[in-house]
Amino acid sequence: MADILFTNVRVFDGGGETPFTGEVLVQGNRIARVTQSSPGARSQLVFGAKVVDGAGAFLMPGMIEAHTHFSWNDQPNLESIQRMPPEEHILWCAQVAEKYLDMGWTSCVGAATAKPRLDVVIRNAINDGTIKGPRYLAASQEITVPGGLGDTTAPHLPQPEFAFGAIVSGSEEMRRCVRMFCKYGVDSLKINLSGESITGMSSEMSQFTEEEIAVCVQEAKSWGKRVAAHARSTWAIKQCVKHGIEVIYHASFADEEALDLLEANKFDHFIAPGLAWLINTCHHASAWGLTPEVVNRMGYPRELEAAIESMRAMRRRGIRILPGGDYGFAWTPHGTNARDLEYFVSQVGMSPMEALLSATAWGGPMMKMGKQLGYIREGCLADILLIDGDPLVDITVLQKKERILAVMKDGEFHRAPPIRDLRTTRWAA
Amino acid sequence: MHKTPQEVLFTNARILDGSGQMPYSGSVRVRGNRIVQINRSIGSVSAGDAVVIDAAGSTLMPGMTEAHTHFSWNDSSSLAGIQTMPLEEHVLWSAKVAHRYLKAGFTSCLGAACAKPRLDVVIRNAIESGQIPGPRYLAASQEITVPGGLGDEMLPHLPFPDFSFGVVVNGSEDLRRVTRNFLKYGVDHIKLNLSGDNFVPGADAKTTWMTDAEVAACAEEVRMRGKRIIVHARSCASVKQALRHGVRLIYHASFTDTEALDMLDAVKHEVFIAPGIGILYALLNESEPWGIDRAKAIAMGYEEEWEAACQSLKAMHRRGIRVLPGGDYGFAFNPHLQNARDLEFFVKYLGFTPMEAIKSCTLHGGAIMMRQNELGLIKESFLADLLLIDGDPLAALSILRDPERILAVMKDGVFAKMPPIDQARTWGRAA
Repeated sequence: MADILFTNVRVFDGGGETPFTGEVLVQGNRIARVTQSSPGARSQLVFGAKVVDGAGAFLMPGMIEAHTHFSWNDQPNLESIQRMPPEEHILWCAQVAEKYLDMGWTSCVGAATAKPRLDVVIRNAINDGTIKGPRYLAASQEITVPGGLGDTTAPHLPQPEFAFGAIVSGSEEMRRCVRMFCKYGVDSLKINLSGESITGMSSEMSQFTEEEIAVCVQEAKSWGKRVAAHARSTWAIKQCVKHGIEVIYHASFADEEALDLLEANKFDHFIAPGLAWLINTCHHASAWGLTPEVVNRMGYPRELEAAIESMRAMRRRGIRILPGGDYGFAWTPHGTNARDLEYFVSQVGMSPMEALLSATAWGGPMMKMGKQLGYIREGCLADILLIDGDPLVDITVLQKKERILAVMKDGEFHRAPPIRDLRTTRWAA
Repeated sequence: MHKTPQEVLFTNARILDGSGQMPYSGSVRVRGNRIVQINRSIGSVSAGDAVVIDAAGSTLMPGMTEAHTHFSWNDSSSLAGIQTMPLEEHVLWSAKVAHRYLKAGFTSCLGAACAKPRLDVVIRNAIESGQIPGPRYLAASQEITVPGGLGDEMLPHLPFPDFSFGVVVNGSEDLRRVTRNFLKYGVDHIKLNLSGDNFVPGADAKTTWMTDAEVAACAEEVRMRGKRIIVHARSCASVKQALRHGVRLIYHASFTDTEALDMLDAVKHEVFIAPGIGILYALLNESEPWGIDRAKAIAMGYEEEWEAACQSLKAMHRRGIRVLPGGDYGFAFNPHLQNARDLEFFVKYLGFTPMEAIKSCTLHGGAIMMRQNELGLIKESFLADLLLIDGDPLAALSILRDPERILAVMKDGVFAKMPPIDQARTWGRAA
């Protein structure tokens, strides 16, 4: 692996400062040196390092997606995900993993997998080099109750293979389920604490007994695993704080008490609202039968309003809000994830700087890697993007593959910057 | 996969066209996925809009065909080691192997059996849809066998079919049902294990296992659906049984007698033999690190089979029966990507000329893939499956298994491996 010296780049280092013009040296899989240069200064060449002249491009840390479902297959419903056979499903996941890396997501946090081992296998295959993909934390299936979000069995087809989630009832079934996923090697357990309006159980409703939740968290923690919750309802959000569930997805209906609880424990939790799902289900899913009347009946516009309100309040209180929006449905296809950052600016009131930090600086602890990730600083892991344009001026440039000139993960180019090629003749031998 | 321009012109190449004629110098133009023009001259050719690849005298030959491929064999030293790999990992493994075969110059592969029911079909479909890179592929079923035969890996106290590498059937109706099931999954051919194998205790290579009624039931179903049968047939009786039932793809055929050879001779324009010579050689000579030293290999019967196979295959070759490479690669002692070694063995042990060995993986390869009118040769209008080789394979077949000598691989007009660029610049400019 050749060392790389990026010259003539505008460095956004993840610390919240205004970018500066400078150079970044990568040695092995780490950032070895970051220097600020003055206009016209000659770059300090490093013996043996390949020089990439950034021509003024924006250099930033690789982004971290906090709510990823590689196994969602860009279809309009949960049943279509479940009907994909496991062989095709694993190839699909591998393809999606590479797409995320292509789009600048050098780390992803798995938020649930559609079949028991998909996430674990993909994580292992990325780590051993079998496939290309981001750094990844593998999730379990969604653990749910009969009739809850994730129970896609039909009364006349009650076989568990038809279910998208793992269905448990009672604390001993919960314990067995958590143990099974821990045996498979997941990094986190996903528990569905609230409903989801599209499934027929309203997002404001909750499920599971406190005893079941306690068993899930206790068993997961005794295995050293993290718990993440689908928690749209007020009760569910509060349960997360009460039981120490670190990752709270959605958190749409946060009342004052919930906000106070979150604020009081703000370094113990991450919030990933998944706004993309709400926004696109409300406004861009008519082609799939989710017309304004239908989504109104389901209650999504009201939830979207509540969620925006909740996120604005959380932002004001300094609670960490991270991007990752349930991508992988027909109207939220994989690869468009950077829209979340746009929504953070346009809906939640973040500055572009805050939105960028939510995808970088807060991603390190979300990946359980502290400050090694998410910064362009000496000693940090070399996950680096080179952007054509300035995301601080126009956050949407991060949605366009052609504007992401290069993606480096762990010191290696996944996508090398395009080289201006004057020659059309190639010489073999 | 690399993006390839619409038109590519290989100039200054030594063209080994795969038909058996001696190489000549010239240029080859590819447009889309076809070879559109061949010039037998080193004079300059107008490039037009084509990207020019100056071959600088290297050899341009058709992509090779592997006639006996097991993507799902996982370089393990036992059949159980293949079977204990979980399904998800197995798919990703197979995908990785498919890509490696392509980069190694095998632009077509004929699946010889997969280890779990749908692996081959899924990999073929993923290649065809462009989801993963890989050779042209014909998908096989699992090995269909009978209790106790090659492929029955169930232990007496663990009689669960999932432990088994093959599908274990009993009786013609059982075989019919299993055949229909694989046809439903979309295989291109059904694999039957007619003979035993020295690797399996109690079912050595000279034994024959299936009843005619069982084979007939499978043959009837397969014919109705327009598919093929491929057979594992090491014993003499199994070779004859295969021919009696109209099977035209025979693997191994180690033990033959005059009657078997005459039967093969009678259908020599239809039948293909892929002996899998690589694994016999490896087990007899190179498998000590995995607990099979020469004495053990001889006790297992590999010396006897090696000698018989050399005799049988030499005789077949003399009679003009097509013998193709593909050697059961995918075991620890016979790992993937050594496949082109078969060509060297053909020359060294079976009396092939190097040109005949080349033909066995080009001209005959197109035929076994059932595309002899458009695949396997460098010929105008043929599919652009091409290799650029540094050196002369006719002088040293071993260069065909040296990744550094395989300068470029093109499949269907698209580079799977780009020719290296003589690089003058060491730094790139972004934007």
